[in-house]
Amino acid sequence: MRLFMHQLGGELRKLFARKRTFIGFGAFLTFEIVVLFLLRLEKVQATVRRVIENAGYDASVYLSGLTLGFLIVMWTVLLLEALFLALVAGDVVSKEVEDGSMRMMLCRPVSRGRILLLKAIVVAFYTFVLTLFVMVTALLAGFINSGIGGLFVFAPLEGVFAFHDFWPGLLRYLAVIPLLSLSLLTISALAFCLSCFNMKPSAATVITLSVLFADSILKNIPYFDSLKEMFLTYKMAVWIHVFDYRIPWETMVENYAWLMAINATLFLIGWQAFERRDFKS
Amino acid sequence: MVRLDNLSKSFRGRPALSGLSLEIGRGEIFGLLGHNGAGKSTTFGLMLGHLHPDSGEAFIAGYSVQRERARAISRVGAIFEAPAFYEYMSGWHNLQFFVSLSGIEPDERLLEIVKLVRLEKRIHDPVRTYSHGMRQRLALAQALLPNPEFVLLDEPTEGLDPEGIQEMREMIRHLRDERGLTVMLSSHLLSEIELLCDRVAILHQGRMIFCGSWKSGEKHWRLDLDDWSKAAPVLEKSGAVSGANQLVSLREGGDMADVVSALVHAGVRVRGVEVVKATLEDFYMSHIIP
Repeated sequence: MRLFMHQLGGELRKLFARKRTFIGFGAFLTFEIVVLFLLRLEKVQATVRRVIENAGYDASVYLSGLTLGFLIVMWTVLLLEALFLALVAGDVVSKEVEDGSMRMMLCRPVSRGRILLLKAIVVAFYTFVLTLFVMVTALLAGFINSGIGGLFVFAPLEGVFAFHDFWPGLLRYLAVIPLLSLSLLTISALAFCLSCFNMKPSAATVITLSVLFADSILKNIPYFDSLKEMFLTYKMAVWIHVFDYRIPWETMVENYAWLMAINATLFLIGWQAFERRDFKS
Repeated sequence: MVRLDNLSKSFRGRPALSGLSLEIGRGEIFGLLGHNGAGKSTTFGLMLGHLHPDSGEAFIAGYSVQRERARAISRVGAIFEAPAFYEYMSGWHNLQFFVSLSGIEPDERLLEIVKLVRLEKRIHDPVRTYSHGMRQRLALAQALLPNPEFVLLDEPTEGLDPEGIQEMREMIRHLRDERGLTVMLSSHLLSEIELLCDRVAILHQGRMIFCGSWKSGEKHWRLDLDDWSKAAPVLEKSGAVSGANQLVSLREGGDMADVVSALVHAGVRVRGVEVVKATLEDFYMSHIIP
């Protein structure tokens, strides 16, 4: 166990010694500031205010830092986090194979399965850290801009429309961090699985994003309404139900169990592909 | 120390290595020669478990690489032609990472090896700032950690300047003489192999065409003949072996005077006979171009 933790430390050092890892965090901050700027536009504010007031709530209470934080997260996760996770997870094995460092690792008396397990843990850790970073910085940006107040959540596609006071709202917002990380882990798992095959790192990233994009489009086509719950992006969006007045625990557990099973299957597929591969110069 | 048992490997139906069998004894420096694509890197890949053989097996220290890889390569260090380090990390952190895959080594041990390869002044600098020679020395350091008994060196002098080549040569000798390591190396620089190796194997198009000891300075003769096709059966009959570049060697007990006499009697004009102290290059070429 001590050796495993030592090796894990080495893998984490590799990840966080790369400038690219931090460029990702920088990109998120920039993007959050852009989204915040957009949310400050009078037209956008008026729209949000109207929605809140039409529901019979006080906009001065619910157009708060917490609400802005949630809106920033919605946009950032949709547009940027998926891309970054696909980039990093798609790189994690295939880039090392491409650079030749994987061959050097495989000169050591360590099994291929162990190398993959270490890398999978690092990818999962990165997914969690990135989500934590996005959610905390979004919240801070929201607080700085709009101060403390209630939380208003509006996600029409998932059917969530809710208002929460500050403390319950903050609690739910924080509860989303591990759940959103779990959801996003599926993106990482898919990219990671593909990177175990004999392909370029960019190919793993592009295929992952293409799969998610196609899944997302197909899910919203009326023809597939009856199958909606089977789509990956449907299951991944289940975290948002934490903001429902009555959290549908059963549905959430079921969907997360599905996601975990999919992640485990992707890891096994990747592992088998990696085991059977030849590594040559 | 090492036994390769009928190893074969093909890529997309094209054979890269066919039925390679050889043995390397403890403390030996063994050279693997061959042109590009002859199967040298494939052999190394199979010995380290990077490649899965189509047939055959490689044994290191009695353990099968294919069935007990971790045990087989637990005492193996390797260097590749172009060692791939993490450029953004220091040499020290690279060493720490690679050695962690074998076990936990104290910093003192790392420092000892760093000093051995004379990198102590730059070991905490990022690898991207290293020269090619420094990278090779770092590669040697990682190969020597934790404590190998057998070292595989794939083109260890590739891209080094003459000083670097000499340094690497001395290092390899030191490893064998002082530490008793077994070394297997491949190189395009035949002179290097000539200076270092006890035995060599020559690979040609995936097949081993020679394996054995080669004595530097072995006598050959360069014959200037008017008709080589007419001379071939006569040479064969009189105990001579013809190779490339008009070179001829003698089988045990053979005498060049008898060979020349036989050629003259057979009507072959012998314009000149020159004694040549053969280099490994001549030896290699005579096997590659029979």
